[in-house]
Amino acid sequence: MKKLMTAVAAASLTLSAAAHDIVPGEPQQQPILLQGGTLYTITNGIKQDTDLLLVDGKISAMGKNLATPEGAQVIDVTGKHLYPGVIAMDTTLGLKEIEAVRATEDSDETGAVTPEVSGHVAYNPDSEVIPTIRYNGISHAQIVPQGELITGRSSLLQLDGWTYEDAGERLDIGVHVNWPRVGVSNSWWETRSPEEQRKANAEARKNLKRAFIEAKAYYDAKQAGELKGTDLRWEAMLGLFDGSGMLFVHADDQRQIQEAMELTKEFGFDWVLMGARDAWRMADELAAAEIRVVYGAPFGLPTRHDEAFDQAFSTPATLAQAGVDFAISYPGYWDVRNLAFAAGNAVAYGLDKEAALRAITLTPAEFMGVADRVGSLDVGKQATVVISDGDLLDPIGQKVDMLFIEGRLVDLNNRHLQLYNKYQQKP
Amino acid sequence: MISSNRLSKLAVAMCAALPALVSASQTTTVQGLHDNSSSYVALQNATIVTEPGTTIENATLVIRNGKIERINTNNRAPEGARVVDLSGHTVYPGFIDAYSNYGVPQPEKQQRGPWFSTRPEYNNKREGGNAANDAIHAQVQWVDNAASDSKSAQDYIQQGFTAVQSARLDGIFQGQAVTLSLADKIVNNVVYQAQARHFGSFDKGTSQQQYPNSLMGSIALIRQTLSDANWYEQAYGKDAYNGPVEYNAALAELGPVEQEGFVFTVSDDKSLLRAHTVFSEFDVPVTYVGSNFEYARLDAIKATNSTLILPLNFPAAPDVSGVNDHLDVELADLRHWERAPGNAAALSAADIDFSFTLHQLKKADEFWPNLRKAVQHGLSKDRALAALTTVPARIAGVADKAGKIAPGYMADFVVAEGDLFTSGTIKSVWLQGEEKELAPLRKADFNGSIAATIANQAVTFELKGDDKVGGELVIGDTRSKLRSSRRDESKLSFVVDTEFAGVAGTWRMQLEQTAEQNYAGVAVGPDGRELTFSGSRDTAEQMTAESEKSADQAHTDYVSRLTYPNVAYGLDGLPERQNLHIKNATVWTADEQGILEQADILVRDGQFYRVGKDLRTPSGYTVIDATGMHVTPGIIDEHSHIAIDRGVNEASEAITSEVRIGDVVNPDDIHIYRSLAGGTTMAQLLHGSANPIGGQAQVIKLRWGATADQMKFDAAPPSIKFALGENVKQSRYPSWLSTRYPQTRMGVETLMRDGFTAALDYRERMQAYEKLSRSERAKTAPPRPDYRLQTLLEILDRERFVHAHSYVQSEILMLLRLAEDFNFTLTTFTHILEGYKVASEMAKHGAGGSSFADWWAYKFEVYDAIPQNACLMSEKGVLTSINSDSNDLQRRLNTEAAKSVTYCGMSEHEALKMVTLNPAKQLKVDQYVGSITEGKHADFVIWNNHPLSSYARVEQTWINARNFFDRERDQVLRAELQDEKQALMQKVLADPAASNGAENGYKREQPSWHCDTEHDTWLQTFTAHSHGGH
Repeated sequence: MKKLMTAVAAASLTLSAAAHDIVPGEPQQQPILLQGGTLYTITNGIKQDTDLLLVDGKISAMGKNLATPEGAQVIDVTGKHLYPGVIAMDTTLGLKEIEAVRATEDSDETGAVTPEVSGHVAYNPDSEVIPTIRYNGISHAQIVPQGELITGRSSLLQLDGWTYEDAGERLDIGVHVNWPRVGVSNSWWETRSPEEQRKANAEARKNLKRAFIEAKAYYDAKQAGELKGTDLRWEAMLGLFDGSGMLFVHADDQRQIQEAMELTKEFGFDWVLMGARDAWRMADELAAAEIRVVYGAPFGLPTRHDEAFDQAFSTPATLAQAGVDFAISYPGYWDVRNLAFAAGNAVAYGLDKEAALRAITLTPAEFMGVADRVGSLDVGKQATVVISDGDLLDPIGQKVDMLFIEGRLVDLNNRHLQLYNKYQQKP
Repeated sequence: MISSNRLSKLAVAMCAALPALVSASQTTTVQGLHDNSSSYVALQNATIVTEPGTTIENATLVIRNGKIERINTNNRAPEGARVVDLSGHTVYPGFIDAYSNYGVPQPEKQQRGPWFSTRPEYNNKREGGNAANDAIHAQVQWVDNAASDSKSAQDYIQQGFTAVQSARLDGIFQGQAVTLSLADKIVNNVVYQAQARHFGSFDKGTSQQQYPNSLMGSIALIRQTLSDANWYEQAYGKDAYNGPVEYNAALAELGPVEQEGFVFTVSDDKSLLRAHTVFSEFDVPVTYVGSNFEYARLDAIKATNSTLILPLNFPAAPDVSGVNDHLDVELADLRHWERAPGNAAALSAADIDFSFTLHQLKKADEFWPNLRKAVQHGLSKDRALAALTTVPARIAGVADKAGKIAPGYMADFVVAEGDLFTSGTIKSVWLQGEEKELAPLRKADFNGSIAATIANQAVTFELKGDDKVGGELVIGDTRSKLRSSRRDESKLSFVVDTEFAGVAGTWRMQLEQTAEQNYAGVAVGPDGRELTFSGSRDTAEQMTAESEKSADQAHTDYVSRLTYPNVAYGLDGLPERQNLHIKNATVWTADEQGILEQADILVRDGQFYRVGKDLRTPSGYTVIDATGMHVTPGIIDEHSHIAIDRGVNEASEAITSEVRIGDVVNPDDIHIYRSLAGGTTMAQLLHGSANPIGGQAQVIKLRWGATADQMKFDAAPPSIKFALGENVKQSRYPSWLSTRYPQTRMGVETLMRDGFTAALDYRERMQAYEKLSRSERAKTAPPRPDYRLQTLLEILDRERFVHAHSYVQSEILMLLRLAEDFNFTLTTFTHILEGYKVASEMAKHGAGGSSFADWWAYKFEVYDAIPQNACLMSEKGVLTSINSDSNDLQRRLNTEAAKSVTYCGMSEHEALKMVTLNPAKQLKVDQYVGSITEGKHADFVIWNNHPLSSYARVEQTWINARNFFDRERDQVLRAELQDEKQALMQKVLADPAASNGAENGYKREQPSWHCDTEHDTWLQTFTAHSHGGH
């Protein structure tokens, strides 16, 4: 524990400072040489006892016994584990502060179809939650509006910004859809008959399709110069038709996924499947159709009574085996910090460890179109690096000593450390 | 079923007026002429089933004045009696439905809005000496409100019923039923038993009162009410400490309930056992209206030694015809669809008495098809008849006058043709000596091929149908269709286009049955000529039809398995206890021995016998090679809400210390199995956090497959849930609904203080009463035993231990000081997310803390929660554990404990103790469990990897040296259940009648309970708070 505290002390100015005194890191001033670490490159395997050179916010070199550039800060990371920053997809970070206090929530807009809202707009960079997320090695998060049917557009932000503008890695990546319910429930709080449920399901499906048709009609009319006015909803969806934006479909049930595959094909959308609890039932089909999957239930209970107790845990392994291109998310906000542990849990149930790491780093970067900058330790990419004492995926290994985002040293202090420190001093 | 819309009084009066001469009562003055019609009837040539198993052939039944006078086995009809020829017919005793709401006023439908739309009612309007709770109607004698209702009676009579035991089916104590004949007479003449059984259920029905809103609340209310009834017998007419004892008609009526007994409705096998437990405490005999789930826990049901009343509403099969329907259907439901019709046969085989009821059937005429289904599933016909006659007669308190055909019994009987239990029909039902004809005794049968000669021409009528007869006239190769067919009891007429005697055209014809196979006919030609003829039926064809009818075969070749519990992953029975030698493991003892590498464990007689290196294998021991594996004690969860039925919160009153989670343990919950698969072997099932003083907790071992009672860990001392903060002050209620005291943390303190003070006052009164002389006691009422206060006294006496839901430091400190004021030790603060702020105060008091590893931010009172909390509490000397409060986290408490290694460097040994030995201490069961120590229960887990690591997986979980989870067996179960499910779905798809039956015939899925899940299980309202509500 002492060791950890030393590392933290090195990385932060004062532990007793109030939360909003946690200052975003300064732009990298001098080259930083991280010497002798174990590098989880994601793209090129694991490199033991290897140096990493960070210059001007980028990884400028990687290799054994790199020469120390002039004026460089040298950090001995012997025995430590270095990873690209972890990327959390499907979060409401910065949109929610205290879940039960409505005034602190900015995640759900009213109305079933609200593609016009953007997650980054309400993002609070001073949320007390965010520093606690960074503390576990997460450098980036996708901020996703919640809601009913078409919920809004998400943005990818790095987690150490003054404003959403300087935090923005990529804004308005795509539109999010909660796929309408399918199937019938036998739960006792479900008062509708199976017939009524089926009818309601079909109605919701129709509403969704209607929205797509409207958006397409608007796009076509705009192309032809036939629009009489501007509609912010359909404006927000233009990217789906001109190829500049993508669709994130949140769907868990096999039937939802199949419907989504059909409808997205019909409209020719560039899309990613989110949630995907039932993906294991159709892994080959997903692989063959080259559907990108963000699996959202790594710690999930079985979806159905009769499913195996570890079904949700073992799904990533099943997807990997079938060759599905998948990421792992842990949707939420304060509990997103468990993402790496969730990936580790998938390893216990059959997933290869490197595949698990890729699923929370490079694959999310690829899905969100930023893999040229982040997601792996490669020369030329952002100097976004996590340095941990031990295995990042394992609670008995993970101890994040340092986090660099684009070469900037991130203050790992947070509300929890501050309170911890304060109350250690209570007599 | 049978919502017997009570007819208006006028309508009843009119119905009674029509056969007025017959049904005048002895006290009614006669208007017009006196009726002295003869009631002397002899039913001759009958086969008489006098009672199940006893049949007299060819006898005469003599009845007079509504009663059976005698049975003449010599078949002689007495002089002067009207003779009815019953040859070819069987007489059964009239059927009795012991569970009905016939002839009594129905409850008014209550209009209720959603949960947050009406202001909660905490008190009942007191009137007429009623009880304090609106779900108690024990004072009502339903005979006082009963009236004959010939319209509703029809539904019963058509199935052969002649009498019912009836009350309004509303509330928990529903009042005392009356047993009535269904005869169409004024009610004065049909009362068979004015004071029959009390009726009851767990459902508060139309009551508007908050309490109870959970199943455990209903059980607690029954317990308190039965106790109150005993007290009232001694207390009424005397003075209590605060004045004369109140008049309470409900309690007065319950005085003799030990003699009168109950008919009590339950929704499943589990609730039957629960009801039995509470009524047994008061020696109240109960007949249960069952659910047809009893077969799933036959031994436990048998052990109650109870009689049941069975509805015959077998569930409709789940729809599995769609290509994706398998995604929505559960194995348990498919199993129950297959086996529910066999429930009666299973009970019968176990020698459990039962009767049948029409209750719950949507349509009365489903009764006989379903009863026959039960017979096809192996129920003997004698037991089936008993279930309609002698057994319900006993339940309805009329065994001396109904349910048999015997001299002196009421002339209530059923005349049937054929075997009623396979395919026969009821011809008439006699009620108090009066016949209600359902079908003519003799009705011509035109089915078959009738050959005749008409005008020297050989013709054949090929006919089919009972009520509507159709067919063809066949002459040589010519077939002519019969039209305009019409029939009565003896004759059939129709027209046909044909030619006789050279006259072609439309002929009108008539057939009349003259003997079993003989017919006489007349044909009227287009020219008006009449030809008569005779015909006879081909007997061979008829025989085939008969044998087809009886070709119904037994349906007892089940494709489903019957497991414990009877759901997917259920076990065949209790796993065998084994003596074990576990070899070469890394043993995490969780005691002073720490972590032992390459160690052995011997398990003998269910306990750890030795822990050491290179132990020898005693003979007869099973060897487990655990090389490369880790063994830990079974994980213990201080805070769990799995395995609870129908409500985790009695979210009504602020103090509900009388309710018991132990009353509602749900052994069928799949989360038991899932938690075993995560290494958890013991859990404290806690009441929710809706009330400052909640309900009593229950410690269970996760013995998957056992009954609720067998899961309880009796060695654990009693405990109780308290709660502080946002939930109990109803922070998320709209302010206009928040009328309950307390609404602040200040009020929580004073409410608790008031509760304890009241408990002490109560004790003082008890003690004072004990000291009274006999003469003083004659005037003084004994204090009313109060389960709520009694429970609080157990806390003050340090016999029951408090686990307090708590978050912020002020409330923690408050409760410490309050406990100190009342001189007891607060055992464990649960959640306790700000425990780190007052850890030294807690340690000094001696309170433990059981926390989440890293939860925070989901509500305001957890905004200062930190993942270093467990470390700080431990360092300050607080006994600290990590709990789940979640059916998800309960499966992976090992890695939750590991987070204290991550965030604040706790040693791995200490971290593991936080989910094993420390919670055992907090539950005060550490002398039995919590570590791998010689002499403790062999509750342990075998892991494939370091048990605190992400990469750890449970291989086996053992409780008392019984293997309750085994990864390899789980793989087999998965494959088996897939096959079984497919086979059952095939069976459903092959059964054309699969979709017939009750819609809601399955056990409904229980929600994932959280601390703050508040709902009214009886109003079916539910506030599902979002993720993170704790």
